[in-house]
Amino acid sequence: MQDPIEQPIQFDHRHHTRDEGIDCRYCHNTVDRSPHASIPPTQLCLNCHSQVWNKSPLLEPVRQSFFENRPLEWRRVYKVPEFVYFNHSIHVNKGVGCASCHGRVDLMAAVEKATPMTMGWCLDCHRNPEPNLRPVEEVTNMVWKAEGDPAEAGRLLAAKNEVHTRTSCTTCHR
Amino acid sequence: MSCEDNHDKKDADRKARRSRALTIVSGVSEAGRAGAAGTSAPDAASDAAADTASAPRYWRSVAERDRTAAWEQAAHREFPPGASELNDDVSRRSFMQLVGVSTAVAGFGVACRKPNEKIVPFVRRPEEVTPGNPQHFATAHELEGFATGLVVESHEGRPTKVEGNPDHPISLGAATSYDQALVLGLYDENRARQISRNGDPIAWRTFLDDVSRRGQALAADGGAKLRFLTEPTASPMLGDLRRRIIEKFPRAKFVSYSTLGGEAGFEGARLAFGRPLQPRQHFGEAAVILSLDADFLGDGPEQLRHSRHFAARREPGTNMNRLYVVEPSMTITGGMADHRQRLRGLDVAAFTLGLIAALTDRPGFESLAPLAGLARAQSAGKTWDAKWLAAVARDLEKNRGRSLVITGRRQPAAVHALVNALNVALGNLGKTVTFGAPVLVDGTNGALALGSLAEDIAAGQVDTLVITARNPAYTAPADLKFAQLLRRVPNTIYHTLYEDETAAASHTLVPAAHVLESWGDARAVDGTASIVQPLIAPLWGGIPESEILAAFVGDGDVGAHQLVRRYWKDRLGASQDFNAAWERWLADGVIAGTAVPAEEGLAVDAPALAGALSPLLAPKPEALELAFVRDAKVFDGRFGNNAWLQELPDPMTKLTWDNSLQISQTTAQKLGLETGDLVSVDFRQRKMEAAVMIVPGHVDEAVTLPLGYGRTGEGEAVAKGVGFNANLLRASDALWFGRGVTLTKLDERYKFGLTQDHWTMSPDGRDIPPPAVETPLMQLLKEGSEFHQELEARRGPAATIHTPVDYSSQKYKWAMAIDLNRCTGCNACVTACQSENNIPTVGKANVMKGREMHWIRIDRYFSGSVEDPTVITQPLACVHCESAPCEYVCPVNATVHSDEGLNEMAYNRCIGTRYCSNNCPYKVRRFNFLEYNGDVTAARQMGMNPDVTVRSRGIMEKCSFCVQRIERKRIDSRIAGVPIADGDIQTACQQGCPSAAITFGSLHDTNSRVSKLHASPRRYDLLHELGTRPRTAYLARVRNPNPELARAE
Repeated sequence: MQDPIEQPIQFDHRHHTRDEGIDCRYCHNTVDRSPHASIPPTQLCLNCHSQVWNKSPLLEPVRQSFFENRPLEWRRVYKVPEFVYFNHSIHVNKGVGCASCHGRVDLMAAVEKATPMTMGWCLDCHRNPEPNLRPVEEVTNMVWKAEGDPAEAGRLLAAKNEVHTRTSCTTCHR
Repeated sequence: MSCEDNHDKKDADRKARRSRALTIVSGVSEAGRAGAAGTSAPDAASDAAADTASAPRYWRSVAERDRTAAWEQAAHREFPPGASELNDDVSRRSFMQLVGVSTAVAGFGVACRKPNEKIVPFVRRPEEVTPGNPQHFATAHELEGFATGLVVESHEGRPTKVEGNPDHPISLGAATSYDQALVLGLYDENRARQISRNGDPIAWRTFLDDVSRRGQALAADGGAKLRFLTEPTASPMLGDLRRRIIEKFPRAKFVSYSTLGGEAGFEGARLAFGRPLQPRQHFGEAAVILSLDADFLGDGPEQLRHSRHFAARREPGTNMNRLYVVEPSMTITGGMADHRQRLRGLDVAAFTLGLIAALTDRPGFESLAPLAGLARAQSAGKTWDAKWLAAVARDLEKNRGRSLVITGRRQPAAVHALVNALNVALGNLGKTVTFGAPVLVDGTNGALALGSLAEDIAAGQVDTLVITARNPAYTAPADLKFAQLLRRVPNTIYHTLYEDETAAASHTLVPAAHVLESWGDARAVDGTASIVQPLIAPLWGGIPESEILAAFVGDGDVGAHQLVRRYWKDRLGASQDFNAAWERWLADGVIAGTAVPAEEGLAVDAPALAGALSPLLAPKPEALELAFVRDAKVFDGRFGNNAWLQELPDPMTKLTWDNSLQISQTTAQKLGLETGDLVSVDFRQRKMEAAVMIVPGHVDEAVTLPLGYGRTGEGEAVAKGVGFNANLLRASDALWFGRGVTLTKLDERYKFGLTQDHWTMSPDGRDIPPPAVETPLMQLLKEGSEFHQELEARRGPAATIHTPVDYSSQKYKWAMAIDLNRCTGCNACVTACQSENNIPTVGKANVMKGREMHWIRIDRYFSGSVEDPTVITQPLACVHCESAPCEYVCPVNATVHSDEGLNEMAYNRCIGTRYCSNNCPYKVRRFNFLEYNGDVTAARQMGMNPDVTVRSRGIMEKCSFCVQRIERKRIDSRIAGVPIADGDIQTACQQGCPSAAITFGSLHDTNSRVSKLHASPRRYDLLHELGTRPRTAYLARVRNPNPELARAE
């Protein structure tokens, strides 16, 4: 889709997600209750990094941000237009996995855009969500695969999660 | 949007601009037009007033009633001439050049690369903040000393929307336009920003040093030359600070001044009961109400509560109240009246005495006997309708203990005293009216208090004057010459939101913190206290009033937060857990148990009252009367820099961006005046110019001037130069009414930005069933009456050119009901919508071209004669037709239907053909002719609702039923796994409405309020005959006339 984007810190999702097994929601912790997933506040980085790698020069900008009370400025990777009101919480709560839209973030040294995020792409799923559903407790699982017949699993999950996708304009445009 | 899209869009814009008024009309409309032609087509060439027989039943302007040629011509067009042309600030040629440049820049690829956007997270995210979800904080807005409880919505620390606090006894969940427009005022870039002394910037510390040094000098003689001029306030903390200041400077004086003077009520209680008291009315208990020049629904610190309780008793049936109104000019209260009598302001006292005279010899009114002589003498030979007065007297008598007489702020204390005596004699005391100890810190706040300060200044008795009142140099009565006097004070400290007229005459300026930036406290009329908490740190270094006062007792650096906490901690006492109480107060928005109890055992000493009143009721000379009135938009001028309020059409005149000299048609004709004539107004050797406007329902032999306009302060770009300054004629002894004004017609015409004839639903004067419907209660109660037949024909299935959509499989079927019987036309819904939906203002020039952007308008219909009309107000936003005429003419599918029946606008599809607006029979669509949001400042952006797209030029927009609120609730409910309950979703207009006239909900829930209202026998659909199947239903207004008077009429 797009080349990896250089960020102010060489934050490596491979390390945090794949190697350490930290759940996505440890950092993106408003994803299930807000439209925004949230980029974590600096303080959250220091939950661990005040103890671990607390002398690392790579983490100098983080410490600087914290002690100078100046936010880190991350570069945006995913962007929907201003007139689009995407809401993370409803998707996560209905069993759309992180990886369905953001790809295998656990394999990305630097996050890159994995899906086109065009209206047609959104509508594909809103018209037929079943292939992209999973149990709600597996949403952050990067490697989850349906057992058995995927079509049948999708149908069952849509019923279980009470998925009712909508395609009216105001679902996203207000 | 790609570059190509961009170019296409610009082309489309250009084309749209070139096209003139479009001529597509739906077939249905054509048919309607043809059908009407034979019956009531007026003679378009005739300019003369049509006779009453061919006048429409309901009309929005005198011109429409008379079908003048000018009106006919305007009605043929969807927009006034020039609406579609770009000839404002930029010439077409230079605009095309500008477009060329920006297109060229775009062509070089700047707009085509993905913008490099930043995401800036918190360093430490506050625990209670969830980015993306708004928070709500309770606070209070003090106006004229009294608080209204508010709940303010905040997105990531930026306040965006003001709502009423349902737990507050005055707000009851609603908020006035003044309250709701606070958001725009907060982010106003014109606000004062810098502490300065004689024009030089100084630091807060320097200011404090200054005050402390000066304080020492002033303390030498006990502060004899120290004065404070403040707004009236009931703030306990400010009251305590004053006490401390007076302790330190025993000879200093506090003067509070309100342009609108709230003291007549106290004084009236003193005359009647022997001590000043705060009157409180209880409209929920009143079956018969007589208002003597009291606009209780549209003015005053309890208007929200009164509106709610009054409306509750308007439900048709045996419990329905009856309202008589006596008033000089048309107010929204007069518009709700069952019977209205026009009377000049200075005659109201005599009318009140006439009422007393009519009652005194009836059994049970012996207590009024001592007033009889005075009453007969003063009311003899007056010109009002004696039958009317007698009928009112009998109705009041029949409803003893359930009636209510109320008078307003413009009437003198004597009238308030008489009204108190009447209410006592009618047995209303303790039932529909109660009295409590005043909660204001000062007993007086009128022109007398300001006059004594002026005298002190003139006598050189004032060395240091601290002004925290709002702009007294502008608002003071002209005879005090206050602005000139101010310059004589050696040291003036002015605490202000704007660099206004008073700032120009002051030495030291301290920028004030906005109410949404301040810690403080305030009390409602009933005494209920609230903590005022800030939503945001002062944007431009504003200082709260408390910190200025605290500086005089050496607490200048304590900060308002600590000042208010300290006060309430002391008051709570050490035995209680202060922090827990504090948190509860902040969360609730009210402090329980602070209301003032009603006084018991009040009695009127009628003989003494008669003695005291005789000298106060001197006969008035017979001459043209001049009346002043608080403005429904800018108040006393303090909201003059607020574009939302300036552009709000006045509830009755529908005037924006102006005030006018209001006059009745009869008097205007007598004086040879027409609407738009510029006149010189002379009153007591003082002069001003104003433009005349003929207003239906205005009393003869009188003119009315709203206050608050004609501002000249340099710091207020929006307010400056708008309208005419009525204060130039105001005198201390004629604050509201004076006789002997003369008008001289000038050889000049003036153009108003009037919206009353905009958005007509009957182009060409085509006969349509009356959009607003009213009926007498008798007709409603009679089965099969003409009224029921008429309404039966205006609801239910109607022929449509569409195949009806089946909505039964959808979970919700959104709909609205608007009860015209409750709507007073107060405008709260218009401001609520403006704030919620990021609606821009366009300015007077654009309003005159019919480009105002309000998604909800309030059509004000008159019926009857121009002199004594009745009024219905009808809020009208998109009615969300199930068979929507706008949708099938849109060439790009920008306006389509949702599965639940909402008529949606997809802004990014719209190319601006305006076909939809042309084909909309309700005329509720609004087009962005210019980039109205183009010059929005960075500060203002913070106040935009992030849940709603900000529209750009060339885009059509309209009411969305607050779909952003629906979708938020839907997602919450889907996550929680519980359906959306009735009442969970309130549209912005519904939430702001003080009289609960607007109801929103799902028709699939047969028990929902909206379902029940849709099934009401009063329900009808607007333009039902077109087969549009609107989702918004209207409920007819019902009047409850006195049978005695109804027969007479």
